[in-house]
Amino acid sequence: MASNNQAAAVYATLKEEAEQNRGKLFEKPLILIGAATCGRAAGALKLVEEINNELSRLQLEANVVEVGCMGHCYAEPIMVIYNEGFPPIAYGNVNEGVGARIVRDYLTDGDPGYEFALVALEPNDFFPTYSDFPRGIHENKIVLDQCGFIDPQNIEHYIATGGYSALVKVLEADPGEIIKTVKASGLRGRGGAGFPTGLKWETCSNAGGTPKYLICNADEGDPGAFMDRTILESTPHSLLEGMIIAGRAVGSEKGYIYIRAEYPLAVERVNQAVQQAHEKGLLGENILGTGFSFNIEIFQGSGAFVCGEETALIASMEGRAGIPTHKPPFPADAGLWGKPTVINNVKSFSYVPHIINNGADWFKSIGTEKNPGTAIFALAGKIENTGLVEVPMSTTLNELIFEVGSGIAGGKQFKAVQIGGPSGGCLPESALETPIDFDSLTEAGAMMGSGGMVVLDEDDCMVEIARYFLDFTQKESCGKCTFCRLGTKHMLDILERITKGHGKPEDIELLMEMAARVKEGSLCNLGKTAPNPVLSTIKHFRDEYEAHINEGRCPSLMCKDLIAYYILPDKCERSCDACLGSCPVEAIFSNEDRIKVIDQEKCVKCDSCKVACPPQYEAIVKLSPPSEVAAREQGEGVK
Amino acid sequence: MGNQITFTVDGKIINAAEGEMLLWTALDNDIYIPHLCGERNEKERPASCRLCFVEVDGRPAPMPACTLPVSEGLVVKTRSERVDALVAAGFELLMSNHRLDCKNCPANGNCELQRIAKARKLRLKPKNLPVLDKGLPVDDSAPGILYDPNKCVLCGRCIRACRHSGNGVLGFTRRGFERIVATFGDLPLGDSGCQGCGDCAEACPIGALAKKA
Amino acid sequence: MKLTAEETRVAVDTTRDILSGPNDSRGNLIPVLQQVQKKLGYVPPVAMQEVAAHFNIPAVDVYGVITFYNQFRLTPPGKNQIKICMGTACHMRGANIIQEAWERRLKIKVGETTEDREFSLERVACVGCCTMAPVVVNNEEVNGKITPTRVDGLLFSYELDKKNAAAEGGEDNGQ
Ligand SMILES: Cc1cc2nc3c(=O)[nH]c(=O)nc-3n(C[C@H](O)[C@H](O)[C@H](O)COP(=O)(O)O)c2cc1C
Ligand code: SF4
Ligand code: SF4
Ligand code: FES
Repeated sequence: MASNNQAAAVYATLKEEAEQNRGKLFEKPLILIGAATCGRAAGALKLVEEINNELSRLQLEANVVEVGCMGHCYAEPIMVIYNEGFPPIAYGNVNEGVGARIVRDYLTDGDPGYEFALVALEPNDFFPTYSDFPRGIHENKIVLDQCGFIDPQNIEHYIATGGYSALVKVLEADPGEIIKTVKASGLRGRGGAGFPTGLKWETCSNAGGTPKYLICNADEGDPGAFMDRTILESTPHSLLEGMIIAGRAVGSEKGYIYIRAEYPLAVERVNQAVQQAHEKGLLGENILGTGFSFNIEIFQGSGAFVCGEETALIASMEGRAGIPTHKPPFPADAGLWGKPTVINNVKSFSYVPHIINNGADWFKSIGTEKNPGTAIFALAGKIENTGLVEVPMSTTLNELIFEVGSGIAGGKQFKAVQIGGPSGGCLPESALETPIDFDSLTEAGAMMGSGGMVVLDEDDCMVEIARYFLDFTQKESCGKCTFCRLGTKHMLDILERITKGHGKPEDIELLMEMAARVKEGSLCNLGKTAPNPVLSTIKHFRDEYEAHINEGRCPSLMCKDLIAYYILPDKCERSCDACLGSCPVEAIFSNEDRIKVIDQEKCVKCDSCKVACPPQYEAIVKLSPPSEVAAREQGEGVK
Repeated sequence: MGNQITFTVDGKIINAAEGEMLLWTALDNDIYIPHLCGERNEKERPASCRLCFVEVDGRPAPMPACTLPVSEGLVVKTRSERVDALVAAGFELLMSNHRLDCKNCPANGNCELQRIAKARKLRLKPKNLPVLDKGLPVDDSAPGILYDPNKCVLCGRCIRACRHSGNGVLGFTRRGFERIVATFGDLPLGDSGCQGCGDCAEACPIGALAKKA
Repeated sequence: MKLTAEETRVAVDTTRDILSGPNDSRGNLIPVLQQVQKKLGYVPPVAMQEVAAHFNIPAVDVYGVITFYNQFRLTPPGKNQIKICMGTACHMRGANIIQEAWERRLKIKVGETTEDREFSLERVACVGCCTMAPVVVNNEEVNGKITPTRVDGLLFSYELDKKNAAAEGGEDNGQ
């Protein structure tokens, strides 16, 4: 078709324009500020304001751009400065004062403020770059590559860096070729189950029935996961491009992005991106003059974790409660409004432009044979460097936690890592050599899930974490089927009584028995995977369950009913009143020796006093079981 | 429906139309499989009660019979250690959330739960599990109908009946453990626009909705 | 909870206004309910009835949808909506302790609104600011690293704001 050459020509013009416009930004010093949700929570918007004020006060010329998230959430707010004569430098923990000072010193006196710098972004002789750190060595950014470096609100940034070129390529190709490439790449869906994406597309493409629909699953409900949000907020066009390509491949002209209720900024950014793509003729009717049309609409969730499950998601788009249905039929055969529908995760779609541009072999060269490509994780919990990371599949947990994430925060001891959220499991130290991929993690008793990874240390109680996740799934169960609705409820009740010190010796067996049935009998994967956190903690940390049940003791001093706060008489400074003032219920009094004592009857165990006690005394401790307090008081002669 | 095909259930050779759901073909041939939510002539197949599990040769795990289309050569077992354990567990779960009061229940003697218990030799009273009573008020506001939500097993039959021949006043509300059959705004049936046809009570397999004596 | 005649009128008018846009395809149901909630802060029964009539479905189906999803409220929210993040990271860093601190101070439980409709207390799913745990979202503002003492501080600043607003309101006659 002649029109295809025309598409390439139109794109060439778009790209040239975009490069020129983006290039102009670099004519002055360029300041990027990470203003995704994580950055904003740390005060990024105030920083933007302060920098602008400082610039106008000093009458300095510079471009300030709000970008997405670079993935280094532990160091938010993050600022990057591109200035002639220096490599671009990223700064971390930039509060307003520091930000203004860096700008002042750097742009007026040429002092880049290395003391605040995290890394330089290009090789140079002055300052280390990413590749000088373990994180940089392990990381291999594909989907996250541009997050935090391009303006998500400006499509030209995406185009100038090669965006939408994959789309132009496939507009020339036969749709079957696209599916072939994606199949050959071995891409597996990143929404949790790891189903081969190419195969799903092929099924939908072959299915009878029109129209066909495309849905991007951006429901990301796993508590502790924020990868998809980051992509939506930082590089929304890579998702759009992936979806348009998929639309072309399966013969669909209509796509939806289902975004969870809690992500207002993501909705704003994606809406903006859709509009801009329309304006450039990359989306909508007759894309780049090729006759191919594709439209994208956003559907906002209403707060229900189960709507991440594809059939529930469809029910919710059809105006019903998000209740899963029996499969088959699978959505690829009969999905939205009964029509063939491809549902993929945000990340799955976002890989596609890269695969088209670089080829299936390139993708296969990363990771392993059965699990090609990269894994994207949100690191949270007791880890030093929280944030988003993208590493090749087959990186080990050990490398991810201790090298990429720099290990456990505050010099504490690693206990476990929870992977895969409510459907995943807790893995202990002995499993740290497990390579990260769909199959190995499942084998180890966890799950890839959508990529939430919470690191737990010695202060985290494993019974409590199991209870927490089960509480989550139990509350989020749609309630349709017997095993999940009632099985999770009974399991939760048992776990609750264990964490309250009322567990019975037979409870562990009962939990395991029930877990097996709920897994086997539930209708959808919410129920089928809900017992995993319980099973994996019993398997690896049975001793903690036993301590709760047999001794009424929480070894990690976390379960509130099994601990008591106690002030060590020989450590209490006596003249200091810090704890006394901090207690919200006036449970602390001063005895005749002016030693502070806690009235256990009144204490609500809010932890305030322990925080308030000055670090040089550290006089307040937790004891378990609570009966320890009486014993200690007697032994230490506290009245 | 498709062609007539042949398959076996518990060693018995059965002929049926291809694509029909296994549950109904088995029942037609006097092979009982416990079931609450499935209804033969309904388009909607909730597969929610999870009691109709069977084992199929070549399939790794038990499957619900109400959503299993039969095909040529299928080999099915309605009983096996695994199926029995699973059904027993599901039944015990349901019974742990069912206010057991057979003596005073209008459905006594004509109750699907009693029938399942008898067929599978199961106890009505849960053995290992505590009873989770919903503690909801019994609704006797409608002229001819009595509704005890504490007995309901959420099969959904009454809702479908009410839509076919009543005013469509019943529906599933809430979610998870709180999921119940209710009317708009939880109004008592008597104030809900219910026309008193009693088809819901007719449909209810267990006496949660029943005609007043 | 009983609505005043005025509240009912506003609810009906608002809902009708929203319904004048979309057609009766059921796919529009949830977006419509979201708009109603956005405008009114909650979805009262009269609004649900209007919506059911528009889509030509039983009212109990709308009620079923509203009671299924976390996001929908059946009663008006407080002027200040306090949302406690219950994500994993926040939980492990003591979100429960923070929840109890709010409950103690406001004398309400999660899911309730204070008598004077000044505050309502909710738990929300992970807001994705795990690095700032524990997190509380007050109206739209994310507050990180919360302690019971900071709960007192935040409450104190509301009181102060309220007093200031009241003082400013009465400025012309005062001083
Ligand atoms: C309870 C539950 C929650 C889920 N949540 C999500 C989610 O938030 N995002 C997602 O992409 N997939 C989620 N899934 C998986 C989807 O059902 C579906 O497999 C996925 O969107 C397919 O996309 P993929 O092939 O690209 O992985 C969830 C599944 C279950 C059972
Ligand atoms: S497994 Fe749970 S969430 Fe899934 S259909 Fe059953 S009750 Fe609903
Ligand atoms: S009331 Fe009866 S028919 Fe209706 S859902 Fe409950 S058990 Fe089924
Ligand atoms: S009849 Fe099959 S699951 Fe209920």
